[in-house]
Amino acid sequence: MSLVNLAAALQNSGYISSVVRAGPTPPPAHPILGYPTAENVEPITRENVASRRLWLGLKYWRNESVLGKITMVSKPTRRITLDVESLRRIVRGDEAQHVAGLRSPGESLYISTDRGILEARECVEKKMGGLVLCRVGA
Amino acid sequence: MSFARPARCVFCSFTRAAAPVPRVARRQFHPSLAPLQNRKPKYPNVKAPEEGSPDAGKRVLKPEHFEAYTKEDKDRLAKEYTAAQMDAIAAGESAIDPKDMADQFRPRDDPMKFKYLDDFSVIEPGIDRHVRAPESNSDYDFKLKSEDDFVDDFSRFFAEMPDDASGADFVRFADELRLTHGKEENELNPHSSLVPDLFGPGETVDEPRTEEKKSAAERGEKERSLVAEEMTDALKSLLLATGYTERQVSELRTKTLVAHSVTNQTRLGKVRRAYRLSVAGNGNGLLGIGEGKSDEAADAKVQSVYRAIRNMQPVPRYENRTTFGDVKGKVGAVELQLMHRPPGFGLRTQYLIYEMCRAAGIHDLSARVNRSRNKMNTVKAAYQALMSQKDPEEVARARGRKMVDVRKVYYAGKT
Repeated sequence: MSLVNLAAALQNSGYISSVVRAGPTPPPAHPILGYPTAENVEPITRENVASRRLWLGLKYWRNESVLGKITMVSKPTRRITLDVESLRRIVRGDEAQHVAGLRSPGESLYISTDRGILEARECVEKKMGGLVLCRVGA
Repeated sequence: MSFARPARCVFCSFTRAAAPVPRVARRQFHPSLAPLQNRKPKYPNVKAPEEGSPDAGKRVLKPEHFEAYTKEDKDRLAKEYTAAQMDAIAAGESAIDPKDMADQFRPRDDPMKFKYLDDFSVIEPGIDRHVRAPESNSDYDFKLKSEDDFVDDFSRFFAEMPDDASGADFVRFADELRLTHGKEENELNPHSSLVPDLFGPGETVDEPRTEEKKSAAERGEKERSLVAEEMTDALKSLLLATGYTERQVSELRTKTLVAHSVTNQTRLGKVRRAYRLSVAGNGNGLLGIGEGKSDEAADAKVQSVYRAIRNMQPVPRYENRTTFGDVKGKVGAVELQLMHRPPGFGLRTQYLIYEMCRAAGIHDLSARVNRSRNKMNTVKAAYQALMSQKDPEEVARARGRKMVDVRKVYYAGKT
């Protein structure tokens, strides 16, 4: 579920266009929007839930991918949790606890908190820390 | 930093050494270290006469330099000015003592002096008011020609058309064809309260002055043609390709950064040639790099500089001083990183990247060059990195989210 939440957070930030749980074949695109939406996807039942996949709609702008690069920060062997003070420093562009600051336009860091997966700036706004998941962009 | 005088040990003043200048200043109850009195100054002392005191080297003016107008001068002035103006000039002359002038007048050579000598007799486009067509050109009773009038015009044209008529005849007719009945000036050169077209550079409405300008221009053309004879074919084609004038090209910032020789192994032996890599920029956001190879080193340099000028491209700059975000470049084994920095930070980079930033007009930057530090690849990688900057506007549009530069918000959108 965490992966769906992360995908939803990425979609919320505009890095991907759609997040759909569908079968082994790609879900059909919406005729107008151009990407699949939840309406024209078969509902998830107990029978088909095991065969569901997460289909992410990638975005492109001027021949370049919008979600250029995504790297893992916490590793299974080494998890990094950051408090608000460290996150503040990172958001301002400084390094904190060996996590590089957000220094480029369009760069973001996703944090798993007890209120779901949030972007680092949102965390600072809400004064929450958490487990650092991944860094997007740059 | 403390501006208060540090507290001093009172008792020390009684037991002071007899030496006129103690090596260490009196004990100070102050956290910072006391400087040694006889320490050498950090910078050599520059004496006033060496540097040039404010009055040094100035031309000394004497009352003799301000002589009254002679008869000839007055005659010459009388041609330009009216009698009343001549009286005013004479009154002004008599009012000021030449001694005072000698004492008080001197051409300015302070740092704040004007950098140009303005000729206020010439109308400068964009600064001065334009001369408009007189109001008498207006004709308020003009009428647009009807279709029948145009038919008449055309029929007259065809009736009067010579047997060997050409396209030029029709073009002339179309040019002369008027669209209105009434005063001709009203249509061709109407009075307008709007600002007419701007002049070209150096163009004036002052008739004799245009003549002067023309002759000067002709002289200039002659000089230019002399130069053109000296101009190489490469420079000519560069000017043609870029649209720059020779002067503009000479004002660009160019620097040859890499110089070595390359060899080609043939069955006849090694053939050595010179290799040069140059950067060119206008110091205001344009940067290009060019490579040149030739048997002659000088030729290779010229080649590389011209190619750099041809390759000049706009470099995105944040606030015209640094990069948008941190950027990375990689060419061969050179991997480098350019990092944006706050205003006033300066260029703390190695010299190749420093020169590139100078040429491009980037003022605050730091860089780190990892793995290899090959000069040629460093320059190429730095160029790649500078060009790979992402425009925040584009990022915002790509993601479909609004992005705001907080610096601009703070200062009412002024920086």
